[in-house]
Amino acid sequence: MTVPASSVALGDPAVRAAFREWLLRIADDELAIGHRHAEWTGVGPDIESDVAMSSIAQEELGHARLLYEQIAGEAPGAVDRLAFGRPPSEFRNAVLLEQPNQGWEFSITRLALYEAFESVRFGLLARSGQEPVAALAATLAREERYHGLFAATWLERLAGASVDAGGRVQAALDVAWPYALGFFETTDADGVLLRAGLVSDSAERQRDVWEAAVRPLLERCALTPPVAEPRLGGRRGVHTPALGEMHAAMTEVWASDPEARW
Amino acid sequence: MEPGGGVTPRGVEAARRTEAPWVRTLEAADGVWAVFLQARRRDAHVHVGDVHAPDAEMALVLAKENYARRDPCVSLWVVPARAIRGTASDAADMFEPATDKSYRFGGSYRQQQRVYRGGYSAGPTEDDR
Repeated sequence: MTVPASSVALGDPAVRAAFREWLLRIADDELAIGHRHAEWTGVGPDIESDVAMSSIAQEELGHARLLYEQIAGEAPGAVDRLAFGRPPSEFRNAVLLEQPNQGWEFSITRLALYEAFESVRFGLLARSGQEPVAALAATLAREERYHGLFAATWLERLAGASVDAGGRVQAALDVAWPYALGFFETTDADGVLLRAGLVSDSAERQRDVWEAAVRPLLERCALTPPVAEPRLGGRRGVHTPALGEMHAAMTEVWASDPEARW
Repeated sequence: MEPGGGVTPRGVEAARRTEAPWVRTLEAADGVWAVFLQARRRDAHVHVGDVHAPDAEMALVLAKENYARRDPCVSLWVVPARAIRGTASDAADMFEPATDKSYRFGGSYRQQQRVYRGGYSAGPTEDDR
């Protein structure tokens, strides 16, 4: 039996650290957007979409948990400590995902941009050759497909509902787009993973694939992404104040007694 | 429109004629879609509830999360609730047999039971031997 090249690569501590960093970004992205989406529970625009968005939030939090398990192992409390026991500066999520919901149009626009990115990223992870994470990525991508469908279906209808509605969605896109470009922020870890063959596409290439998926959807909606510089920071732990506020709410119960068994 | 062409006036007339006191249109607000769920490939689509949606695509998207997230599902149908015609509730009498028709019930046929249960297969099964 031959050992996959990627397993050999993971023998290198630098590669192992970079791979961990990559998994942590994915898990933190899922936790952040999952938490924001969970804030729609009970106040969605209609009961059906409220239930659907809450279910999507639950799935995103579930994905975060499975990915944290890959990093922290299954020891009791390990996942919770990783999710809730770190200060905001140790979170690696893209800053877009920590932004408050602002309005339904913003959450839907953000979800559409994020799901297109998730599809690219889970594809890369599934091809990383690194089991069991690769198989997990392929499984999770199945659920993400519906999330993308929900976002696109809503976005098309919101954008085309009226001149006022279209303007509001465009305004949401103007805010979200520069942050979304921060999905592709790189650190030293990206170079390490590329050289080791665990990630097959550079960040620039990933962005091209993402834009090729996102732009036709936006065109269908008569929406135009602004020309803007990426809003970076998240992948290095440099966050907006929104994360501090979200982190306080998110960790409040766990922090009240970190040793409690729930 | 030509008589007999497209959605036929004759057809519409026929529908109106049959909307006798025993036929009713479901009372539903605009944008209400009835949702039918198929749990396994050989099962019938069963009405499981409604969703509010501006069009069929959105109705399907919402139905998926509202009705198919807890139980098995392989297919969904959505139908504008107002398109459904039913028998009036005071017409229930006509389903009551006046004489004993239990001889018509298919319940004792093994093959039919298998079809109803969804376990149908063309080949002989343990029951047949």
